[in-house]
Amino acid sequence: MTQPFLAARSLSKSFGPNEVLKGIEFEVHGGHAVALCGENGAGKSTLIKLLTGLYTPTGGHVEFQGQPAGWTDPRQSLAAGIAVVHQEFSVLGALSIAENIYLGAEPRTRLGLIDRKALNRNAQVLLQDLGITLNPDDLVENLSVADKQMVEIAKALRSEAKVLILDEPTAVLSQNETRHLFRIINDLRERGMGLVYVSHRLDEIFEICTDITVIKDGVVTSKGPTSEYTHDSVIAAMVGRELGDLFPHKSADPTAGEKVLKVRNLFVTPDLPPANLDVHAGEIVGLAGLVGSGRTELALALYGAASATGEVALMGEPMPYRDPAGCIEAGILMLTESRKDDGLFLNTSVARNFAATTPGHGVHHSAIPPGHEDRRAAILKERRGVVVDHVGLPISALSGGNQQKVLIARLLENRPKLLILDEPTRGVDVGAKAEIYKTLRELADEGMALLVISSELIEIVGLCDRVYVMRDGEIASELRGSEISEEGIITVAAAETSTHHGVAA
Amino acid sequence: MSMLVRATRAQPVHLVVVALIAAVFVFGMTVSDRFATPLNLANVQDQMVALAIVALAQTVVILSGGIDLSFAGALSFLCVVFASLAGDTTGTLLLAMAVVAGAGILIGVINGGITAYVGIHPLITTLGTSTILAGVALLLTRQPTGSVPLFFEDFTYGRLGVLPYGMIFVIALYLLIGFMLWRTTFGTRIFAVGDNEAAAAVSGLPVKQTKIAIYALSGLLCAVAAMYMTGRFSVGDPRAGVGFDLRSITPVIVGGTLLAGGKGGVLGTALAVVLLALLANVLNFMNVSSFYQWIAEGVIIIAAVSFFAGKGKS
Repeated sequence: MTQPFLAARSLSKSFGPNEVLKGIEFEVHGGHAVALCGENGAGKSTLIKLLTGLYTPTGGHVEFQGQPAGWTDPRQSLAAGIAVVHQEFSVLGALSIAENIYLGAEPRTRLGLIDRKALNRNAQVLLQDLGITLNPDDLVENLSVADKQMVEIAKALRSEAKVLILDEPTAVLSQNETRHLFRIINDLRERGMGLVYVSHRLDEIFEICTDITVIKDGVVTSKGPTSEYTHDSVIAAMVGRELGDLFPHKSADPTAGEKVLKVRNLFVTPDLPPANLDVHAGEIVGLAGLVGSGRTELALALYGAASATGEVALMGEPMPYRDPAGCIEAGILMLTESRKDDGLFLNTSVARNFAATTPGHGVHHSAIPPGHEDRRAAILKERRGVVVDHVGLPISALSGGNQQKVLIARLLENRPKLLILDEPTRGVDVGAKAEIYKTLRELADEGMALLVISSELIEIVGLCDRVYVMRDGEIASELRGSEISEEGIITVAAAETSTHHGVAA
Repeated sequence: MSMLVRATRAQPVHLVVVALIAAVFVFGMTVSDRFATPLNLANVQDQMVALAIVALAQTVVILSGGIDLSFAGALSFLCVVFASLAGDTTGTLLLAMAVVAGAGILIGVINGGITAYVGIHPLITTLGTSTILAGVALLLTRQPTGSVPLFFEDFTYGRLGVLPYGMIFVIALYLLIGFMLWRTTFGTRIFAVGDNEAAAAVSGLPVKQTKIAIYALSGLLCAVAAMYMTGRFSVGDPRAGVGFDLRSITPVIVGGTLLAGGKGGVLGTALAVVLLALLANVLNFMNVSSFYQWIAEGVIIIAAVSFFAGKGKS
């Protein structure tokens, strides 16, 4: 076989004692599109950062066209021809499309000034080449997410790139936009470029990738041509166990229990169709949809953290006025999406984090007796499966999975009737995921109603008894039983927007 | 036209500032007959020059997402140094100018270097250097000291018709920096770093070096302001810079430049400097205590920022 454009040779990376990648072997050949698969936290992003010189390896090396690359700065890899389309866009809203594309490589006049005519002209040519119709002089901040993505790709391709790395490029795209992106990717591959494609969506990987490399817990667990894989074999390599072992049983008759939450005509945004949904005691209901489809907004509205008008009833009792304090009092609790931003007090002890929202028995007024929090927090180790040496340690010392368990345990102290969980396993390792799934199922079996928001389709499919799929701010479909599959959800979630909302209204 | 808007970074808010300038002007004419005279308007311009220069420096720094609070100490220090060296000949003046310009740049390089490489917030870095330099200035002299050549002093008081030389110089500086922001790669980098530093770094821009250059430019402009102020006072005052740290920020904010960086430009700052100077002058004619001027300035700052905050949400 010919020499790969870009390769990792027994590449390792540690952060302190934490070994994130171990002996990675990875190759990208010209004319190939390699899928890089793995769960969140498996080490994909770290590998990309090593491949581009943003991180320096602690073991092994990166090879470029057969030679050790030795990059210490992304500018060096960029100059060599490694272009990256980042998950968080690196396009700048304050600059024009053309300025973004040529940032750091602006065409100059003889006096060394930016040649604005050439800048816009070159950008126009590049955009046309990619089949994108945008005015290069427009400011990027006014563009749609999909167009920003296209600018990002154009920027990556401005210099003669040999390898293009795309990190979750379709996470925010509609079906049509994804089609367009795929045409571009296939075109680039046929021109001889090497591509690395990071995505959670297996369908896409099987459609456009020629090879697959799977990473789990920092190790390559499997690699080969796409033709040697099936959906199930990729998932098995990613998860490291059969799906059946990861997820607990599902409810036999999800809607048999009492209706805990009943939502009718809830307008989260006045100009979008209202939401109608139910959650019964004993079932786990999933809220699926693309990033930006309105899942979190709906959940925040149910929790009273965002304004909305409509009927919400809990256990048959209408809740005319809602705010988070009232919802907690009534029994609606929510685990927010980002535990670091709005869940945890990072520098505070595990015990205090746990006790922060409920005073506990024997506490009067505002004075907390010494040692009280630590005694209460004993429940974390005894009943909630949190692994911690001492509850007086700052919670930042815990792993993501254990942090999440503390937060869930804190919510349970309020004895919720309805528990809303936004991305409950983000940044959590597989073992802890399985434990969290098991806990959630146990809560449902005890009669709690659960509403789970997740971007990971495997999680929605494996865990939920019923699924509402959102698209463009509205609930587009409800899936039950065997309808709940990755294909079923994606088909609804990424369908083209109907041109007019509320035709039936 | 759209190119002109893009080049000047004109915003709708600038029309509001222009309208306010017109309103203050008309109001000023009703307050006093002497307000709209060439003599008074030239005075107003004289009042603006030093502030206009440091506000220009502050605009560039804030556009890059930073802030420079070192002007208070730096101006005092540089004024003392300049007056001590300027002597009474062209030779000594040029030497003093070179030394003060170099010292200004050095102060900026230190500000930028500590901010970029040690990773300290520029608020802290520049507050620190300002405090140090304020102390050094007072260690050098307790009383205003030194002198400048008479012809230099005359120059700072000179006029071309109704336009003071200082004002012409300021206009040229604003055009120069505006052009720099629009047509040089350094200008683009300033916006890029201010808009999203991480994205700029990933795009391969030399973020740290850019920051150092930005603060160095700020320090150089501060040195220019110090030379002008010393010329006007004809001595080096070790307290010359007091208040300029916060005063330099007001026109930038009122002019619509985002404190978070990445958005705004020199046009807004220029208009805001004019507005603030006219307002102070009118209040003077009304015999209003300067303490009320502070109150007025404070109200304007909060009103301007509230205005932009409201716009940002929609």
